[in-house]
Amino acid sequence: MTDYEALVAKILEKAPYAEGEVRRERRIEFRISPDRIRDFLKLLKDNGFELLLQITAVDWPDRGEIELIYQVFSITHRTHTFVRTAIPRDNSVVPTVMDIYPVAETYERDAHEFFQVVFEGNPKLEMPWILEEEDKEAGLSYRKDFDMLGYVKRKYKILDRFDEDKGTYVI
Amino acid sequence: MDWKLWEPLIEFARKRSLWIVSFCTGCGGIEMPPLMTSRYDLERFGMMPNPAPRMADLFLITGYVTPKTLKRIIITYEMQPDPKYVIAHGSCTINGGIYWDAYNAIKRLDAYIPVDVYIAGCMPRPESVMEGINKMMEMIENGTADSWKRYKENYEWYKKNQDELFGEGWREKEARRWIPWIMDDLKRAEKEREKND
Ligand code: SF4
Repeated sequence: MTDYEALVAKILEKAPYAEGEVRRERRIEFRISPDRIRDFLKLLKDNGFELLLQITAVDWPDRGEIELIYQVFSITHRTHTFVRTAIPRDNSVVPTVMDIYPVAETYERDAHEFFQVVFEGNPKLEMPWILEEEDKEAGLSYRKDFDMLGYVKRKYKILDRFDEDKGTYVI
Repeated sequence: MDWKLWEPLIEFARKRSLWIVSFCTGCGGIEMPPLMTSRYDLERFGMMPNPAPRMADLFLITGYVTPKTLKRIIITYEMQPDPKYVIAHGSCTINGGIYWDAYNAIKRLDAYIPVDVYIAGCMPRPESVMEGINKMMEMIENGTADSWKRYKENYEWYKKNQDELFGEGWREKEARRWIPWIMDDLKRAEKEREKND
């Protein structure tokens, strides 16, 4: 059985710039500033955290931040790890981690397409990915200030089936 | 000879030998294995998954349809020989279902291709799919399954809707995008063969 507290303490000792905690069994969490993300992930990889599962982004308009969550899995320590970092919304640039975890290329393209986060050093960011051209032209984005419902109504011409004044939508 | 006399026999044969296009779009594809295998055994109705749309009668649209798959669905549908029938599973094909506000799922399937039978539910259980298939057979027998005729008669309207969503000339554009890729593949295969000889 892994001692998660000891594991977190060991990592934090090597990376004093980070904050970390145990959420529950098999879930640990770190918070760091975006400029140290590469150092930290390198450190994790050297310490038996072998797999990067996903990079997700959360938009927080009230805090003016986009939170990036790197989910790392460790087979050695049998734990799922969240590495959280927050970047400013209007200047969302973060260094790539492609050379540390090669699979990051895919997830970075994903986050770039839907949240317009720029991962410096990833050469494939501008390549065609999931969205089709007309969606890109319309500036589709999962950021909260994009009017998704309005876009859907325009694209599929279903204006008449929604009633804006009611609390619920009529479909 | 008057073929009208033979019509009931032909309709009976059609009804008992529906071949399905095995093009599983959306989540509903996962309901196909139980339908095909021993528990619900569709083959006792003479239904069979089938390798090419050119030999198919029945098109099962199993769930949500995105614009990208819709292009393929339309092309596959047009490749099928007449008479052809369409069954649409799930609420997603009726009004978008849980994807009612998603930018990437079409909201009404029958604006783009005609549908004979809708099966509501998210996801419909195999029993209701069987019910839908029964209904389809009934409709074939009494001649009300006429979606393929509707498609021909109202082609202008369907085409207008398709063009509105994809932009005019989408067929050519799609083909242009893929033909070079296929040609490259052919060339590569040719080279391999030469090397092996
Ligand atoms: S109706 Fe439900 S199960 Fe069917 S495709 Fe839509 S979401 Fe999936």
